[in-house]
Amino acid sequence: MTSSIAFKSFTGLRHSSAEPPKLHSQLHNISPPNYCQRHLQITAGISSPKLQNRNLRVAVIGGGPAGGAAAETLAKGGIETYLIERKLDNCKPCGGAIPLCMVGEFDLPLDIIDRKVTKMKMISPSNIAVDIGQTLKPHEYIGMVRREVLDSYLRERAASNGANVINGLFLKMDLPKGGKGSETAPYVLHYTEYNGKVGGAGQKKTLEVDAVIGADGANSRVAKSIGAGDYDYAIAFQERIRIPDDKMVYYENLAEMYVGDDVSPDFYGWVFPKCDHVAVGTGTVTHKGDIKKFQLATRNRAKDKILGGKIIRVEAHPIPEHPRPRRLSDRVALVGDAAGYVTKCSGEGIYFAAKSGRMCAEAIVEGSGNGKRMVDESDLRKYLEKWDKTYWPTYKVLDVLQKVFYRSNPAREAFVEMCADEYVQKMTFDSYLYKKVVPGNPLDDLKLAFNTIGSLVRANALRKEMNKLSV
Amino acid sequence: MSISMSFFSPPTPTHLLISFSSKPHFTDKTIFFLRPANPLLLSAPKVSTDNGAGISAAIEEPKAEQKVAEPAGSAPEGEKSSLGSNGAVADAGVKLESKFVDPRWIGGTWDLTQFQKDGSTDWDAVIDAEVRRRKWLEGNPESSSNDDPVVFDTSIIPWWAWIKRFHLPEAERLNGRAAMIGFFMAYVVDSLTGVGLVDQMNNFFCKTLLFIAVAGVLLIRKNEDIETLKKLLDETTFYDKQWQATWQDETPSSSTAE
Repeated sequence: MTSSIAFKSFTGLRHSSAEPPKLHSQLHNISPPNYCQRHLQITAGISSPKLQNRNLRVAVIGGGPAGGAAAETLAKGGIETYLIERKLDNCKPCGGAIPLCMVGEFDLPLDIIDRKVTKMKMISPSNIAVDIGQTLKPHEYIGMVRREVLDSYLRERAASNGANVINGLFLKMDLPKGGKGSETAPYVLHYTEYNGKVGGAGQKKTLEVDAVIGADGANSRVAKSIGAGDYDYAIAFQERIRIPDDKMVYYENLAEMYVGDDVSPDFYGWVFPKCDHVAVGTGTVTHKGDIKKFQLATRNRAKDKILGGKIIRVEAHPIPEHPRPRRLSDRVALVGDAAGYVTKCSGEGIYFAAKSGRMCAEAIVEGSGNGKRMVDESDLRKYLEKWDKTYWPTYKVLDVLQKVFYRSNPAREAFVEMCADEYVQKMTFDSYLYKKVVPGNPLDDLKLAFNTIGSLVRANALRKEMNKLSV
Repeated sequence: MSISMSFFSPPTPTHLLISFSSKPHFTDKTIFFLRPANPLLLSAPKVSTDNGAGISAAIEEPKAEQKVAEPAGSAPEGEKSSLGSNGAVADAGVKLESKFVDPRWIGGTWDLTQFQKDGSTDWDAVIDAEVRRRKWLEGNPESSSNDDPVVFDTSIIPWWAWIKRFHLPEAERLNGRAAMIGFFMAYVVDSLTGVGLVDQMNNFFCKTLLFIAVAGVLLIRKNEDIETLKKLLDETTFYDKQWQATWQDETPSSSTAE
């Protein structure tokens, strides 16, 4: 309910300028499910010029989950697709957690998943540990994947559907100049192609395409090319530690989350099990300079459980905190991390990257009538509309949770206390695994609100006493 | 940190120093308290704390060989000089990473039988003890261990104990303020307009003023609260604005919304 109210505010901001009246009236019926969009496809296509002798050419910059999913959908839709990825064996530093729904929605083979996490432990600043996961059904789990495995699987699937995978580094893009004919003028991409056989620094090449999907991650060059603006970002720092086998048993299907000012002032520290080692890491937005200190503290908190481990890799990466001011410009759209689709509170990005890549590609396929017509900005805007409408509630709820529960140590204590409640666990996992904000039983919700306030009040009362003690 | 521990657990002050200033004497007490008598052993754990590969108590010394390997990998002895601000070897004992210890903290929770006063549990003492524990942990974060997990839950302390200790004094203060404001405003309005208290209550404008006064007393308790409230209001809508930014400009030629 609230989502549609919030969404109305989005549509209210739109100036319906150059769109034909037929299209405009159709747009007000967006809320009904997907099949209504098929009607839009036919009417939208009429307004764009038909392409002669060729299909629509679209380039996807970046071959991660977002790029791979987008390229696959484009290729399946009959569009001439080019996927440009700079490092085909890239081990992106990542938590590596994917929700259950992703396996179904993207038809992922189960052997991609290294581990199925079915238990989580939340540990408060005063080391109160709460186990969550009792409410999970036997078939439910959080999948832990290796990014290099997942990314290459999605890319290969895109290639087998007809996408051209290019191993190259995107340098810059020439935008079509404004004025007459600019609706059909191509985007000229400049990139350096790496040839595995020849090796060396690579050759500079250009490519002309009609539309571009920027899926090149947090430091997106495509975003820079279209002046998408900046976002706040967190630094996630992670160490991969190989621990002795007997300690690895504990992490068989369990992940841990540590909260506390020592571990991170605005995020959490984690221990995630990977294929044969664990990843211990933390992140922060506001105190990036202290990240090493936070990492030390995280390792300290998990000390007993990772004792005897050897660090095999240290990695870090920026994580966007919110979407860029502009996610779309003319026929260039951003998806995934490049757009800033990482949730707050949990910092989850893989599913949203893949889903946004797919959604954007679907919008292009529909807007172009399976590649037969040129697309324009309004076709790509539909992807933004659909995305905002579908996932805004999820993002907003997680934002509220982060604001309330990651504020201070008392808030984190209350957070961990709340996690002990079964109703909370059920709601959390349901919304995480299936990516739907499900309104639960109102009576239970009321009890939950009551308990939350109680926990927060108690924790803050203790904090006031703690302050008195130091004086 | 045994000094701090003594500060926080009054029942056992006997063989521990109470004041922070007696640092030079501390090493002896540390050795006495922590049983392993080898000062070298005491320094090593401290050092590894710096490296983050720490060992929680001197008892776990045998595991020193299995420390989490640091990329820097310096020998423990060599790190002695890089200890905290005080830098003396004595400090090796001060910062020794010992766990929070309290005789009433048993099995990861407070043993309520030790908090008896006049036959019933002294909840205030439980609250005090938990406050000290959290204060200690804030300054000396501990590793969370599976062998002795913390299972304490603040909700075992009954609701009336919380109310009596935290809510009532604050309520008294706020009601006092409200009463003072109410009396003063009633007097001022009466002297200016001649309208008595009963007639004031029937007037809509006065009722509005009353509502504002009550809300003000409840929300603004310290000077800083005005700023806090303003920031809170901004915060609630900030994320929404960030998401809407892409809708501010639909035509490609308009300037960046950032």
